[in-house]
Amino acid sequence: MCDTCGCQLHEHHHHDAKVVEVNRSLLEANQKQADSNRHHIEHMGAVAINLISSPGSGKTTLLERTIEALKETVRIGVIEGDIETERDADRIRAKGVPAVQLTTGGACHLDAPMVHGGLHVLEHFAKGGLDLIFIENVGNLVCPATFDLGEHRRVVLLSTPEGSDKPAKYPATFKGADLVLITKTDLLPYFDFSVEEATKEARLLKPDQEVLALSATSGEGFAAWLAYLNQLLPK
Amino acid sequence: MHELSLAQSLIDQIVALAAEHQARRVNRVVVTLGPFSGVVRDSFEFGFNILKQEREQIREAALELETPDPEYVCLDCAKVAVIPFPRQSDRLELARCGLSAKKCPWCGSTRLSPKGGTELILNQLEME
Repeated sequence: MCDTCGCQLHEHHHHDAKVVEVNRSLLEANQKQADSNRHHIEHMGAVAINLISSPGSGKTTLLERTIEALKETVRIGVIEGDIETERDADRIRAKGVPAVQLTTGGACHLDAPMVHGGLHVLEHFAKGGLDLIFIENVGNLVCPATFDLGEHRRVVLLSTPEGSDKPAKYPATFKGADLVLITKTDLLPYFDFSVEEATKEARLLKPDQEVLALSATSGEGFAAWLAYLNQLLPK
Repeated sequence: MHELSLAQSLIDQIVALAAEHQARRVNRVVVTLGPFSGVVRDSFEFGFNILKQEREQIREAALELETPDPEYVCLDCAKVAVIPFPRQSDRLELARCGLSAKKCPWCGSTRLSPKGGTELILNQLEME
């Protein structure tokens, strides 16, 4: 029963009720922080890349090899996201590059407020400045898609053992990618993975989707990935 | 996915707007859940109805959910088609007739690309 007019109807309006048009996204708070992060990164003179994939697709290994290749000429910093442990940040630091570990304790994805905190710490440890910031998201092919972190490019990894049907099964994630990076190509002889099929599926979602394939262990295809990164950096 | 934290974001926005408009109570909330937003309608509604109990001004707020049908652009003929998701009850029938793959109603192609539909919007509030 309505306690204003005592009636039993659910659908009714009172004289002094007003309807206010809002039209705001429920994700507005995260989006505002993401936009602010992006400006912050640009103000630092850097470019940020959000790496998204299932657990074990090769994000950290990709970073290790990328750092080895670029660290003499590019100032790199990494924000690591995991539910538990500092293991990935430790691996990055071992390559001689500053890394901040965000441990969520339970959250299955990073969000913009978490990355905001990470950026401030990273800045502190990268006194000489930064050109390229990698944000390695929590291993998860579903949830990270929803949350802009303030990145300039979103790279989604798909490894050979995972199967070429994953773009079709995880459309939101693959559609939102700026680059789909197929990893562990050294394992192609042992799995049913088709680079052609994965590319086709990805381009159904986004017709002009950029797709690269590489192996961080054999080095195959790595030059194209480095070229992709280099063209993002200011000359 | 994350329906509860999305419901909480919604409630935070509503409470702030109610304060801004000096409203004693919010009667109705209209929200659009885009078809490709990944949000499960029932879970979202459930979360909202639980969380709204914590705030006097929104305890009675009725949630109206708009769930527009998904749109697809055909990569072969470039026309846009609105193809509703099959209802659970229809799926077995569709599978049996071999009609599970969506086809462009204009040219018959199966190369349909999801168009938009990822929005999660607080459209309007009715308050007093």
